Amino acid sequence: MERMTRLLAGLLGTTARVLPPARRQWAEAVQAEAGQVPAGWRQLHWLAGGLWLVAREANMARKIVYWLGLGVVAAAAAWAIWLSWRTVPTADPEGVTDRVRVLVGASALLVLPWAGRRSGLFGPVGSGITPRLVRVAGCAAVCGLGVSIVHLDRNAGAGGVLGSGTISWAREIAGLALLGAVAAIPPVIRALKPQADAGAVWGPAGVVALAAFVVLPMQVLTILYVAGILTATSRRSPLPSAALAIGTITGLATGLIIYGVLAIPSDIALTGGIVLIIFLILAAIPFLLATPAGIAAAWLLSGIEDPQELRARRVRQGLLAGATAGAVGGLLITVSAMGLGIMMIIGPLAGIAGGALGGAVAAAHPRKSLPGGSWAAGMFVSSR
Amino acid sequence: MPPRAALSAQTREVLAALAAQPSQWRHGYDLARETGLKSGTLYPILIRLADRKTVEACWEADQPAGRPRRHLYRLTSQGLAATTAALAVAPTPAVATRPRRAAAPRRLASERS
Repeated sequence: MERMTRLLAGLLGTTARVLPPARRQWAEAVQAEAGQVPAGWRQLHWLAGGLWLVAREANMARKIVYWLGLGVVAAAAAWAIWLSWRTVPTADPEGVTDRVRVLVGASALLVLPWAGRRSGLFGPVGSGITPRLVRVAGCAAVCGLGVSIVHLDRNAGAGGVLGSGTISWAREIAGLALLGAVAAIPPVIRALKPQADAGAVWGPAGVVALAAFVVLPMQVLTILYVAGILTATSRRSPLPSAALAIGTITGLATGLIIYGVLAIPSDIALTGGIVLIIFLILAAIPFLLATPAGIAAAWLLSGIEDPQELRARRVRQGLLAGATAGAVGGLLITVSAMGLGIMMIIGPLAGIAGGALGGAVAAAHPRKSLPGGSWAAGMFVSSR
Repeated sequence: MPPRAALSAQTREVLAALAAQPSQWRHGYDLARETGLKSGTLYPILIRLADRKTVEACWEADQPAGRPRRHLYRLTSQGLAATTAALAVAPTPAVATRPRRAAAPRRLASERS
């Protein structure tokens, strides 16, 4: 019994360190009082209560689930890398290129949270279940993207479908150098011109990012998606949890609908006109679904007195929710059908347009504020 | 912030114990004995009350011989006023005479709605 008591006291002292300083003193208070409690079961119960207090105040259950989720993401990333390495280059001319693509995606998942945590752009993850869930699921989907790329090229035979078929080190190095430049430009401009506005800082970086996209489209898209997932789910995200949930749920619905549409058996020959119609349909689906998502997300906003500001913020919130819906739908459909990688571009663009339209519709109907929650894709999302 | 109208039975017991001797600093085990609450229930309540500025907390100023310094609690002036008002709304638990309460948390009918 005495050994057990000592063990619990030691455990309480150790685990109390996970609490923020303002909360730590309460665990220390339990520990300080333990000596006054009669020895035996009562003292043991007292210390166990202290451990419960630490677990409760540190939100440990939520953190454990989150870190387990990140562990699954890390395992999925390792699996994607292993798959890309297992592919024999002679059997798959795209094999080395795939390795670079997968490695760039895995590096983005590793480096961006670290880099963003320092500057505060990408992390820490927002409080609540929605940002954590979306972050883990989004990062897992990016890993799924790597696995899809490898599988697709392995089955496509010589020539591949995502590129020239063979590795071009000059292109890979040039693309990665451009990506490095994108990361370096904003801090360099800020260091040289501390008074520079956001346009002057991010404009040149955007131009270089565009050049990098032309050289290495898949890698840049992957990095952009990782950055987008981290930004949308960070504590400083411009998107509230409820709007994030609306965008994500709508995005999942978008992906499923597109998948269902593409699964319809058809004997129609894929001529130029038919392909154009298919792409118009693929763009219309995220647009049409993002519009109600934008309305729902914009209606969540309330309590802003200035009508002009309310209108602007509703349009912005609708746009962001629509972009989220389009991006989630695009990512989902690309993971499940890699040949539709173009949806990673079309999805967010159509989502932005639909979401902005929805935000504008909501802005024109200001009486519909729903601060307690909103409807999205047939589900009620609470903003609390 | 004053305590909200819908207080749990356990919170009422803690507030009643503190309000019985409002000027006196109390320590956790003392409150636990008086209310019959376990540490895992008592301290989260004290934390929330301190967050709402209903209760103030501090460590003993001097290091006593033979035991660690204690964390002490008492009602703030606004906490005392709010507690008096809140306890007047519904019957105060009979702290001194009531039997040992069950460990399972109870909720008032007003909290269930």
